[in-house]
Amino acid sequence: MKFSVCIKQVPDVSAPISIKDGTLSQDSDRMVLDAYSASAVEEALVLTEAHGGEVEVVLVGPEKAKETIRKALAMGAASGVHIHVEDISGFDSAAFAEVLAAWHKKSSYDVILTGKQSQDTDAGLTGGMLAWKLELPYVANAVGLKFEEGQFTVKRQGDSGQEMIRVQHPCLITCSNDMNDPRIPNLKGIMASKKKPVQTITLEDLGLSVEELTGKVTKTTKQGFQEVPGREPGKKFEGDAAELVATLSNLLQNEAKVL
Amino acid sequence: MATILTYVATAEGKIKRSALEVLSHSRTLAQSGGHTLEAVILDANPDAFIDTLKNYGPSKIYTVKSPLFANHLNAPVTEALAKVVDQAKPFLVTFASTESTKDVIGALASRFDAAAIPDVASFNLSGNSVEALRPVMAAKILSKTASDASLTLVSVRSGSYDATEAPSSAEVVNVDFDFDEGGLRAILKEVISGSGDKVDLSEAEVVVAAGRGIKDAEGVKLIDDLADALGAAIGASRAVTESGLFSPSLQIGQTGKVVSPQLYFAIGISGAIQHVAGMANSKVIVAINKDADAPIFQYATYGLVGDLFKIVPLLTEEIRKIKAN
Repeated sequence: MKFSVCIKQVPDVSAPISIKDGTLSQDSDRMVLDAYSASAVEEALVLTEAHGGEVEVVLVGPEKAKETIRKALAMGAASGVHIHVEDISGFDSAAFAEVLAAWHKKSSYDVILTGKQSQDTDAGLTGGMLAWKLELPYVANAVGLKFEEGQFTVKRQGDSGQEMIRVQHPCLITCSNDMNDPRIPNLKGIMASKKKPVQTITLEDLGLSVEELTGKVTKTTKQGFQEVPGREPGKKFEGDAAELVATLSNLLQNEAKVL
Repeated sequence: MATILTYVATAEGKIKRSALEVLSHSRTLAQSGGHTLEAVILDANPDAFIDTLKNYGPSKIYTVKSPLFANHLNAPVTEALAKVVDQAKPFLVTFASTESTKDVIGALASRFDAAAIPDVASFNLSGNSVEALRPVMAAKILSKTASDASLTLVSVRSGSYDATEAPSSAEVVNVDFDFDEGGLRAILKEVISGSGDKVDLSEAEVVVAAGRGIKDAEGVKLIDDLADALGAAIGASRAVTESGLFSPSLQIGQTGKVVSPQLYFAIGISGAIQHVAGMANSKVIVAINKDADAPIFQYATYGLVGDLFKIVPLLTEEIRKIKAN
């Protein structure tokens, strides 16, 4: 069974962010394996360890992103594919989906896994777009995945409750970060990763160009960043529990009028 | 005249409040831009919702009738919406940003080679161009995103707008839908709902949310009792769903549910930004936490600094007294 896991390298969202004149700046230029992608890799590893098969990771990005491919290999993926695009700043989700679709049309796989969204954009579009372009059945927002009697059963987090969905393969599944706790590569894994194959592919190899992807395929434009507006400062109280409750009760009834 | 089409989602026999919020704002934009507002309902019994929908001002309501829409699968929903979009030919389709929407919006965008701006906090029109603000970088900041494509799909976070009525007459158009159920490559086996799961948390008007301060089963009981007294839905921070104290379906946050109730209780929740992103649209926020410096107090309308194990039982008693009168 071959898993193709689409992974992304993203800025470290835990590092402090500031906005100057609408542009983003971070103290650290540390880039990391996106958390949702990491869960997708982890799940593929768990399943291939239980049922056999291999995990290949695919990443679209600059040369610097190779380190993220190596991390996935150190976790246990067998091989990597680096679709090298040095400047992805002009790509929206549709462009990534177009590139990944072109790659997957040339490659073989049983299941494609992606994160359900990525930590940089939180868009959550690429998985569904890719499934459409490849005409694959797909299940989004997976929090569990099993392979039984030759079929995949996905536990999906829906609007109310969790849905168990049986899906035929080949298929695509987008993964929640609630699915698992991605393993941290150990020294053995890191050493082994250095010998694992990473193919480098260009857009030309896929019959695509940056101009077409940023000009025609990408349909949204980013116009800058803003701070999240804060709320009106509220009232804070300390003291005896009974007094606090009496104060709150009065405010909720008479001031906020929500009780 | 250009058309704005709103997908009005239904669940458990009701129109989703978040869908009416989006419909209302779409109507505002249609009115100021001189556009037509149309709505689409997919349901086993769509006619049941027409009267309610007419109160929100669309000039046309497309109904698609099929029992398949109750089965939480993306394939029938995508196909039905695509059929209506083909017929209505809108320049803008708006949706509430629910898990069901997230399940189909990417595929729909690719099907129509449309622009998609998902999960927005706000959106407006400038001519036929769409401009939106949406949270990014794990909800730490807002990105201003625009599209002037011939078709744009926009999904909206719940509580971003108010649902406001503006009754009008509407033409009702039933769209035939013949879906080959045998062709389904993904099928629903079952829905697992624990207690409290049956309610869609993002539709609740009062929410009691538990955080790490709720350490154990005793704490869970306090939350249950308070929610019961209030008639509230229960939610939880990531920490306590991961620890197993609460079901994962109850998680509120950037990667969980986005809720926008009238009244939100954050109990033993520190207020990490990923959690706040899921509840910042709440009208009134009450925070109870023993740490006076917890970030949650920056967002709370009313903050109580103290021991929740002492405060919550007294609060529950007080609420019961109020409700009894």
